Amino acid sequence: MGQAARVLEEKGFTTIVLTPTPEFHYMVGIPRSVGIGYPYGRLLGDAGDSEGQRNVLMATLEALGKTDTPGSVEYLSFVWPEEPKDANWHPPEISPIVKVRLEEIRQARKEQK
Amino acid sequence: MTETSTDFNGFRFLPPSLGAWIKSHIEKRRFEGSIPWTPLPRALNELTFAMVTSAGINHKSDPPFDMEREKQEPLYGDRSYRKISRDTRSADIDVNHLHINTDYIKEDINVILPLERMAELEAEGIIGRLAPTAYSYYGFQLESDEFLTSAILPMAEQMKKEDVEVVLLTPA
Repeated sequence: MGQAARVLEEKGFTTIVLTPTPEFHYMVGIPRSVGIGYPYGRLLGDAGDSEGQRNVLMATLEALGKTDTPGSVEYLSFVWPEEPKDANWHPPEISPIVKVRLEEIRQARKEQK
Repeated sequence: MTETSTDFNGFRFLPPSLGAWIKSHIEKRRFEGSIPWTPLPRALNELTFAMVTSAGINHKSDPPFDMEREKQEPLYGDRSYRKISRDTRSADIDVNHLHINTDYIKEDINVILPLERMAELEAEGIIGRLAPTAYSYYGFQLESDEFLTSAILPMAEQMKKEDVEVVLLTPA
C-alpha cells in the first residue's frame, strides 16, 4: 500500500495511509501514515460501530494537515477493546505464504528470543 | 521524518512467530530514499476525496479476485483492481482475501472502506466532496512493479477525471 501511496503522490494527489503496521514506512518511505492499534481488516472500527468509525476517520483526516514533512507518521490513541488473541482477524485457513514459509517463521521466533 | 510516538507496536495483533518473521524483514531505520510529496492544497471542506483499500472487495456484479492461483503459487497476488461506486453498500459486495478474516467487511464495508462515513462528512460540510468512485485491490503484492502499472496507474487516471485531490488508503 505504501508503494501505491508513493505513485499517487507522484501523480499529484495528497495521500494518507491508515495502517496497523506503520513500521513498514521504514522500508518503503510512505509519504504520510497514520498508525492505529486495531486488528487487520477493521481499521476504522468494529462492524456496526458507526460512531467509532467516524471518530477514527475524523482523526485520520485531521492528521492530513498536521505535517509538511515527507515520511511522517502520526499515531492515533484509540484502543481496541479486545486482546489481540480474541480479535478474530485471522483467515479461516493459514495463508499460502505462511504455509510454505512455516519453518522460516518458527526460526524467526527462536532467533528473536 | 517525524513521529508522534515511539512505543507503538504494529506487530501486536500478529502471532509472535509471524510478527518476528515480518519484523526480521523490516530494517528499522530511517528511510533514506526520496519520498514523493504533494502538499495538502486547501482546507478539508474544499477538497475532493477518493478512497483505496487493499481488502479485496468486489461489487457482486464484478468478478471476484483470484484466490485459486495464489493457492497454487503462494508468492502471487491478483494484480487487478475493482472500482467501487460511492453508493455501494455491504449487501452489494463480496470480499476475497486469504490473509484476513473477511466476515466483518462483508457485514459492514465501512470497517475498511468507510463510504457511508465519508458521505456523512460530505453532507455535514466537513469534507468538500467524496468522488463517485472508490477502488479496491488485493493486498498481497510481492512483485509490485507490474501491480503498480496494472492497477494503481489506471486508478490515478480515473481519479484525475473525477477531480480527486486527496486519497485515503486502507491496507488489508
